[in-house]
Amino acid sequence: MSDKPILIIDGHLDMAYNATFHRRDLTQSVQALREREDPPPVRDPAHPDSLRERRGVEPLGKGVVTVTLPAMRQGHVGIMVSTIMSRVQMPIATLNDGVRTQVASHAIGQSHLYYYKALERREEIIFIRNADDLDACVTAWDNPDPDTPIGLILAMESADPILGPDQVQDWWDAGLRSVGLTHFGANTWGHGTGTRGGLYDCAYPLLDALSATNIAIDLTHAADLAFWQILDYWDGPVHASHCMCRALTPGQRHLSDEMILALTERGGVIGMVFCESFVNPEWNFDDPTSFQPTARRTMGAVAEHIDHICQLTGNCDHVAIGSDLDGGFGREWAPVDYDTIADLQKFLDILARRGYNRADIEKIAHGNLLRFFRTAWSK
Amino acid sequence: MHLIFDSHLDLAFSALQINRDLTQPAATVRTHDPVGIMESFGSCTVTFPDLRRGKIGLVCGTVMSRLDPNDRWTRTGMYDQSQCHAVGRGHLAYYQALEREGLLRFIRNTADLDATIAAWQEPAADTPFGLILAMESADPILGPDQVPEWYELGLRMVSISHYGTSTYSNGTGTEGGLLPSAKPLLDALKEAGIIVDMTHLTDQAHWELLEIYDGPVCASHHNCRALTPGQRQLTDEMIHSIAERGGVIGAAFDVWMLDPDWQRKVPPYEQQTKATLETVADHIDYISQLLGTSRHCGIGTDLDGGFGTEQAPRDLNTITDLQKLDNIFQKRGYSEEDIAGIFSGNWIRLLKEVWN
Repeated sequence: MSDKPILIIDGHLDMAYNATFHRRDLTQSVQALREREDPPPVRDPAHPDSLRERRGVEPLGKGVVTVTLPAMRQGHVGIMVSTIMSRVQMPIATLNDGVRTQVASHAIGQSHLYYYKALERREEIIFIRNADDLDACVTAWDNPDPDTPIGLILAMESADPILGPDQVQDWWDAGLRSVGLTHFGANTWGHGTGTRGGLYDCAYPLLDALSATNIAIDLTHAADLAFWQILDYWDGPVHASHCMCRALTPGQRHLSDEMILALTERGGVIGMVFCESFVNPEWNFDDPTSFQPTARRTMGAVAEHIDHICQLTGNCDHVAIGSDLDGGFGREWAPVDYDTIADLQKFLDILARRGYNRADIEKIAHGNLLRFFRTAWSK
Repeated sequence: MHLIFDSHLDLAFSALQINRDLTQPAATVRTHDPVGIMESFGSCTVTFPDLRRGKIGLVCGTVMSRLDPNDRWTRTGMYDQSQCHAVGRGHLAYYQALEREGLLRFIRNTADLDATIAAWQEPAADTPFGLILAMESADPILGPDQVPEWYELGLRMVSISHYGTSTYSNGTGTEGGLLPSAKPLLDALKEAGIIVDMTHLTDQAHWELLEIYDGPVCASHHNCRALTPGQRQLTDEMIHSIAERGGVIGAAFDVWMLDPDWQRKVPPYEQQTKATLETVADHIDYISQLLGTSRHCGIGTDLDGGFGTEQAPRDLNTITDLQKLDNIFQKRGYSEEDIAGIFSGNWIRLLKEVWN
């Protein structure tokens, strides 16, 4: 490997969710955020009999932060696909970022959009809306300055924030380029992770409206039946921004070999997740009681999933990074040889040691996602 | 029943940060709140069905997000203005989505205001609420150049500070005055025709603001320091200074601002206030006697501003009970005209003066 770092595109981050729900100022270093995260609530000693300290809504799924903009720059993660993420789901004891109505989900979604806009105003990031923007960003990162803006391809995880098909054009104009219809649970449009079932009828007019744009459909959180229904109905671009292989890690959250082949035949790209619950077969994603407090495996475990997909498809053209490293967990569930997102560069070294050549590594690091979005936007 | 204008509600915060479905009655919302919410934000008193039952047809609903890194209470204070902007735009989008559903209508000018008042004379079961968009702490405004855009979006009233120190000024609980960034913002607000809400300024900032800004002012949710000591309340001089500018002062229903014996460091659910709706009337009466007129008095309850029944006047269960004030003022000898002015007329007059 040459000394010059390879551009990395992270195909799945939830930056705005972290900034607003977890109150993280992502313009700061990882270290600075770790030092000032809220301490756990302490009971007021003057009132030891109080049932509970006043502490607001304690956001669950926080973990130890590993992703901020300076760390991304350090790791040459110059482009991100980052989400608007809000879904209609009753807040429960283990997951309290769902909201009660679609109106609220729309509002939270808009707040995420405007977080990115505020970052763009400060030239921390830059929206990528078309192939020209993409090319310009790649060129800028070929020889970046310390303050080169990080390119953002705007995505949506759960389409609850879209109030109806008539809003699709507004969202496209706002920069939205990839949509996953569902997330955890069953939402406005259909069945997602942890449920069994397909799309609701109202999803088809939404898909029709989406097809009038060049938005890609992200199949990541579709329940199995919904996955196949979407592939049947939708003839536009499809991908799986953050998914692993069911053959290696059992569970509905991951893609079966049949799904991988169906997706890749359509030109889809699959992003690799850097989370223990996705690479440890002893952790059953469908049964959170099987989860342990800390990770055991290294980034090498992620590479095993890349091997599997490449062997299955016979090439290196359909795998990318979709780390999800700020998506409801932190360092404790990230690979043990990982500390901040800057360490994704070390992952490329791991691939090299496993025998991937420079051209293949560049495809995985950025080339496949560049091709995917350029193709999607060429219509 | 008189039409009531509530000049301060944090509806979007309640819906998004406390995660409440405000289309349900408060009694239902209380059963939906997960464990810990009552201890932090109190038992819900404000939802749209309750507003409708109380004929509270006109509200100033806020965009509310502030810089407050040490907010260990609600855990919603932010570290950076970009986060405040994001949350603020989310609040705006909440109201916009409700307008799309027909539940409320943005009031942007006198014609909108007149139409809503007319509709609420004999309201139907689904008459849309009239919303005047307000902002509590100007942190979501990233700079004076964004003010015209916010005006276009419907913003008509802004307080530049809240608790702690905002981007533009010191606020409640701090000392000191305006920050240098306040002047360009105030100029832009005046240029746009947005009313400056004096609530949550420090004493020093209050007087500095009146020095450097000569546009319209109000105090959306504020009581009298003569009756309830503390920086959060207005001195007699401050009341005069707002009235001289034609401003209106909305009576706040947080018993911390009504009950001098309220202990802020004791959880609300472990004490019982003496304050009642009569106590609120005392503050309105005090201002009316001080000024010789009730024309500068209004209602700005703040009843969903991070507290609930536990920290509200003890004879108030939901916001519907505001109508009980009618009888209270009648007994005190207030005329129908005075009561109508306090309930809505004075705020309506101020808005029309500013907008015409």
